[in-house]
Amino acid sequence: MKLHAADDGALLLEEVPPFLFRLLGEIAVRAASDHPRVEARFFPDPASDDELIEDWKSLVQPELQVLFQSARETVQADLRGASEHKKGVSMRIPKTHGDAWMSALNQARLAIAEESGFREKDMAAEVAPDPDDPRAMALFQLGFYGFLQECLVRMQDKTS
Amino acid sequence: MPSLDCPEKETLEEAGLDEPWNVVVHNDPVNLMSYVALIFRRVFGFSQEKADAHMLEVHHKGRSIVWTGTREKAELYVQQLHAHLLLATLEPAPQQ
Repeated sequence: MKLHAADDGALLLEEVPPFLFRLLGEIAVRAASDHPRVEARFFPDPASDDELIEDWKSLVQPELQVLFQSARETVQADLRGASEHKKGVSMRIPKTHGDAWMSALNQARLAIAEESGFREKDMAAEVAPDPDDPRAMALFQLGFYGFLQECLVRMQDKTS
Repeated sequence: MPSLDCPEKETLEEAGLDEPWNVVVHNDPVNLMSYVALIFRRVFGFSQEKADAHMLEVHHKGRSIVWTGTREKAELYVQQLHAHLLLATLEPAPQQ
């Protein structure tokens, strides 16, 4: 897989192997998990004040849900614009979609970690993808999304 | 002379609106360190050095007070941090 920045600030992904492209297609699915631990992580209490927590749930949480959903939809739309070639899949992440991608990748990573119960030491390990080992696959997916998110953060750093 | 009630002041005091509040960011093993620093720069306008210092404090000490001020603004900052999926809370700042 090759990644490079276009002149207009877009991130170009080229020669993406079908296996990795399939993982990209799972970003929105993983991020939209309805696991209770994922929900608790996405919408943490803002304080120990019960009244504020209630207000937060009714006023802030719905706004955040819309924001997270919107980021996932942007990612899905960009993936639909991908094209297949002999050497793999090519696609572009427009500069203006960088924030949505960082959000969706972050959502997916947090959801995977919560669902799988990963701790810091788990995530520090180098893991090869193993289709027969769901935990190893989840760790690989977490790492792959982290790599892509890191690339997007660095691009933001360069342009800010 | 009879004393006059001062409801505005009372309301402010009851809600703790006139006391300083801290915005605290808590450690999270999943969020990338570079991403956390980027969000600090965007939300609070920190320099790269200040953002990195707070990010490292979160990473090593488990939490960092990133801002102190009015409760209303603290709530707004916590909402922005939650929008970026950072673990953040607000808490009354200890009185000196």
